[in-house]
Amino acid sequence: MSGYVALRSAYAVTLIIVLLYVRYLLGRYRRVRKEMRDLKRSS
Amino acid sequence: MKPLSIAFIVFTLALLGFSTYQALFVAPTEQTMGDVQRIFYYHVPSAWVAGVCFFVNFLASVAYILKRNSDADALAAASAEVGVVFCTIVLITGPIWARPVWGIWWTWDARLTTTLVLWLIYVSYLILRHFATGSQTKLLAAVLAIFGFVDVPIVYMSIRWFRTQHPSPVMGGGENSGLDPAMLHAFLWNLLAFTCVGIILVVARYRLQQMENEVEAEHARLALAGGAR
Repeated sequence: MSGYVALRSAYAVTLIIVLLYVRYLLGRYRRVRKEMRDLKRSS
Repeated sequence: MKPLSIAFIVFTLALLGFSTYQALFVAPTEQTMGDVQRIFYYHVPSAWVAGVCFFVNFLASVAYILKRNSDADALAAASAEVGVVFCTIVLITGPIWARPVWGIWWTWDARLTTTLVLWLIYVSYLILRHFATGSQTKLLAAVLAIFGFVDVPIVYMSIRWFRTQHPSPVMGGGENSGLDPAMLHAFLWNLLAFTCVGIILVVARYRLQQMENEVEAEHARLALAGGAR
């Protein structure tokens, strides 16, 4: 693997991991907000 | 979302763009390694953010044990999770750098091994929090976090205590250590940008944990109200 390919791969990995984590947080946030709304409605 | 939070996110995105430009196009190319050395500009800041997150987790765990405060527990959970994310980046970008420079992806030297152990400790911390049930879970997690944090200074000192395959400290490593000023400039911009990203993620995860705690409390309240009827 050449240095340039390694550099691009490492950069892509860094970006992808952070973006996946942000997506995971947003998904979890949506679920919790929905659950909160449902709970308020039922009470 | 508050205007201040939005402004901080926009500032961080702009800073990330600028620091990436500094790392990829402005910083001089290292003579021996060439372009692959530029991985340093996000490998080291990722390690820094992971270390700070684990330190915050340690402080929050101590606070939880002393005061049984659910906000301290939420901060501990948030910082551990973000720390694991950045530690994962470190463990992946390190071998990607090592392959063209050392000719191998991995070796069991002190720095690499202690970092892998650190990652395993905090992954087990998250697994414990996720799967354990019962009133003692948060306390057990806090105790695990305090013992787990012992590995952080070991990771930091490993390249000073042992002769390792991993490069010796670039900064604060004695007479022959140090960075070219242009490299240092790019490095510090990246350090700042990654720190801001870490802060945003920890705050977002902390608020999420607080919301989950509220939902849990509401469930308990409804169950009690149902039982009383």
